[in-house]
Parts: sequence; C-alpha cells; structure tokens
Amino acid sequence: MKNFHFLFAAWVAVWAVFFVYELSVASRLSRLRAEMDSLKRQLKE
Amino acid sequence: MSTARAAAIVLGKELRLEFRARELLTTTIVFALVIVVLFSFAFDPTAGESRRYGPGLLWIAFLFAGSLMLNPSFAREQSNSTLDALRMAPVSPFAILLGKMLANLIFLCLAEAILVPVFAVLYNISLTSVVAPLALVFVLGTLGLVITGTVFSAVAAHARMRELLLPLLLLPILAPLLIAAVETTASLFAENPALDRAWLAFLAGFDIVFLTASWLLSDFLLEE
Amino acid sequence: MKSRVPITVAAAALVFFAGYAALFIAPDERTMHEIQRIFYFHLGSWAAMFTALTIAFIANIAWLVTRQPRWDWLGVSSVEVGVAACTAGLITGVLWGKPAWGIWWTWDPRLTTCFILWILYISYLILRGLIEEPQRRATLSAIFGIFAFLDAPLVYASNRLWVGQHPSPVIMGGKDSGLDPAMGRVLLVAVVTMTVMMLIVLVDRYRLERLRHELDELRLAAESGSSSPKPLAAKELL
Repeated sequence: MKNFHFLFAAWVAVWAVFFVYELSVASRLSRLRAEMDSLKRQLKE
Repeated sequence: MSTARAAAIVLGKELRLEFRARELLTTTIVFALVIVVLFSFAFDPTAGESRRYGPGLLWIAFLFAGSLMLNPSFAREQSNSTLDALRMAPVSPFAILLGKMLANLIFLCLAEAILVPVFAVLYNISLTSVVAPLALVFVLGTLGLVITGTVFSAVAAHARMRELLLPLLLLPILAPLLIAAVETTASLFAENPALDRAWLAFLAGFDIVFLTASWLLSDFLLEE
Repeated sequence: MKSRVPITVAAAALVFFAGYAALFIAPDERTMHEIQRIFYFHLGSWAAMFTALTIAFIANIAWLVTRQPRWDWLGVSSVEVGVAACTAGLITGVLWGKPAWGIWWTWDPRLTTCFILWILYISYLILRGLIEEPQRRATLSAIFGIFAFLDAPLVYASNRLWVGQHPSPVIMGGKDSGLDPAMGRVLLVAVVTMTVMMLIVLVDRYRLERLRHELDELRLAAESGSSSPKPLAAKELL
C-alpha cells in the first residue's frame, strides 16, 4: 500500500487535535466546577 | 451636522495638528526611506531585478511604515482625552473615523509621493510614462490600508502591547490588498507597462467592502 | 444535567463508522489510490471549521446588537474550536500534499488565504488575552472577528477564481468536476461526523466560558460580603 504512513498520520493527527483539545476543555471544566463547589461551601459558612 | 462636514472638520484638525510639528510625517518618511535603502542589500539592484522585486518591497515598506504610523495617530487622542470630547460632540462616530482615515490617507500618500520617485532614481527604473496610473494604484491601495488601519488602531488602542498588536491584526487582513496592490504595481513597473484591470477592480472592491464594514461598525468602535 | 453517555456513545459510533467508511467502503481513486482517502478527513475538517466560524460571526454580531454575555461566550468558544478545526485541515492538507505533489507547501491562492485565516483567528484569541475589561474585550474582539470573517468567503472562492496548485472544486465546480456517488456518500458521512465532533467540543467550551463567568460573579459576591450571589437569570443559562 503506497503512502499508507501518510494516510495513517493524517488520521492520527485529526483525532489527536480533537482529543487533546476536548481533554483540555474537559479538565478545565472539572477544575472550575470543583472551585465553584468549594466557593459555594465557603459562602454558606 | 452632516457626516461630510463633520469629517471635514476632523480632517482639518488632524492636518493642522500634524503640520504644526510634522513629527509623524517626517518620521514615517525617513523610516520608509531606510527600508528602501535596506532593499539594496537584499537583492542585486540592477534595473531588471528592481522591476521584479520593486513592487513587492515598496508595498511592504509602506505597509510597515503605515501600520507603525497609525498607533501614534490614535494614541495622541487618548493621552489628551480628546476622544471623549469628540464623542460628546453631536457628530456621528463614522464622521470622526472618516476624518481620521482621510488624514492618514493624505499623510501616507505624501510619503509615497516622495519615496516612489526616490526609489525610481536609486534603482534606475523609469516610471515617468506611468505616473498617472501608478498614482491611482497607490491611492487605492493606501486607501484600503488606512481604512482598515484606522479601525484597528481604535481596536488596539484599548489593549496591552498595542505597538505589536496593531501590525499583528492588520497585516493578515491586508494580505489580499497587498497581493492586488503588488500585482497592479508590477504590471506598471514592467518593461511594457499595462495596468492590470482585474486586480485594480479587486483593489477597489476591497476598499468598498472594508469602508462599508467600518461604517456599519463605527458606532460600536468608538463607544466608551 | 442530562446524561452524556448516549451522546458520547453515538459520537463514538459515528467516528468509527466514518473511519471505516473512509478506509474500506469508499472506492479506490484512480491516480492517487490510498492517499486520496485523506480527502474525507480533510474536507471534514473544513466543513467543521466553516461551520464554527460562521457561528462565531453570528455570535459577534449578536453581541454587538444585544449585549447579552452568552453571545460573547459563544463567540470565543466557536473561534477556538474553529482554529482547532483549521489546524486539523492544514495538517491533513500538508500530509496529503507531500505524497501527492512532492512538496509540503506552496503559496497558491487556496493555501495562502487559508493560512491567513488561521493566523487571523489566532490573532483574535491573542487580542482577547490583551484586553482586561470584559465588556470592552467582548466588543472589540467582536468587531475584529467580523472583519476576520471577511476572509472566509475568499478562502472558499479561492480555488474557483484562480487556478493554483490546489485542486479546483469537485463539488459544484465547473464542467469537468463531479464526485463519484459512492465517494459522495462517504464524504457526507465524514462531514457530518466531524461537524458533530466540533459541536460537541463547542458545547463543552461554551460551558467552560459560562462557568468562568459564574465563578467571577460568585467571587465578587463573596468579596462584597453578601451571603448568596445574585442568581443568573434563567435566559442567561442557555
């Protein structure tokens, strides 16, 4: 199969871009939610 | 007060201000001149090479000189709070913008009128046969530059690092303009000059589109 | 919040099916053979990008007109996602160009205008980072975003108006253009899949932006000493 490594690299690149970005957003989201919860608990006191 | 009249008043103010001290104009001209001189180190300045590279390099010089000149022109308003005074006047924001655009256009065109002949002399190109169409190309191209540049200098005025930010925002947006300007200028620099009408139309189209966008967004641009 | 499991499962299924279709269902191309299959991911990226940037354009206008914060949140989210999609498109393009043309890059109209578009929207994100005050940041970046979008039709039309290294359009192109129907079906699957993936990330990014805003409001309430923060109006919670 000619050029298969380029095809594979392209497929990896597309999903790498997607997953890296989605993971960074998701982790920031959960960190902010944790901060939000702790702040809410602080305010209740 | 009509937009045209208000713009004319703003334009008059800008011109009077600048010609009292002439610091912006002289600095811009000398800066562009330095770049023109530096070209001679970048390529072999025979007439043939100059005809080929001249248009591109000239336009890059004016793009850089122009984008560096636009910041001080807006910053001047901020340091004296004259912008607030202008805003309170019963004129449309677009009139203020238009006045500034026209002032910047005049300054840059003056710089070009001095520098293009200097370039022609230093690099042994005869441009006397194409003065009129060349002037048209430079006015249309510079118009696109100042329309977009004046709007973006208002945007960058409220940001940090505005000296670096303005060229960063401006130059990519102006890329189509740069290409069109270089193509039309190159068509006039050639051995057998013939103005490229398609690219000229593109240049004019660019100016119209960006002037319209500026007009539509002018209210939001100059608000508090 | 609704369970995310059904959406995640459906998205994963779409991704697997699209990949399978691109690699095995789509017919072999006459001249380029296997490497041509990048086409499905390449166009998929662009479809996702143009969708994201159009959403950004609409959000920018909506902010200037309504001044509701959610449009600013949508604006920055869709630009970020659009830049990611553009990156994927540029990478797949380069990885296709080298085996197909022998060169990594060339400055033909399509590639040049697209590269400029990429830089423009990165500049949008840089601009936002350099303006402190939220209202002003939203307004000025919206204005810049509207100007930046003026390059997008140019990118789309660039291989119709000019002939360059990049292939002329195969869909709605000239006389000799056209796509094999089997390829067309796989292309549709790929475009839908990648646009859906883009929308999934967009929703999360939007939630992130909204949460940041709520957190700032909460912090302000905590500092001012009130016992509970002013709740966000229901319509802002979209």
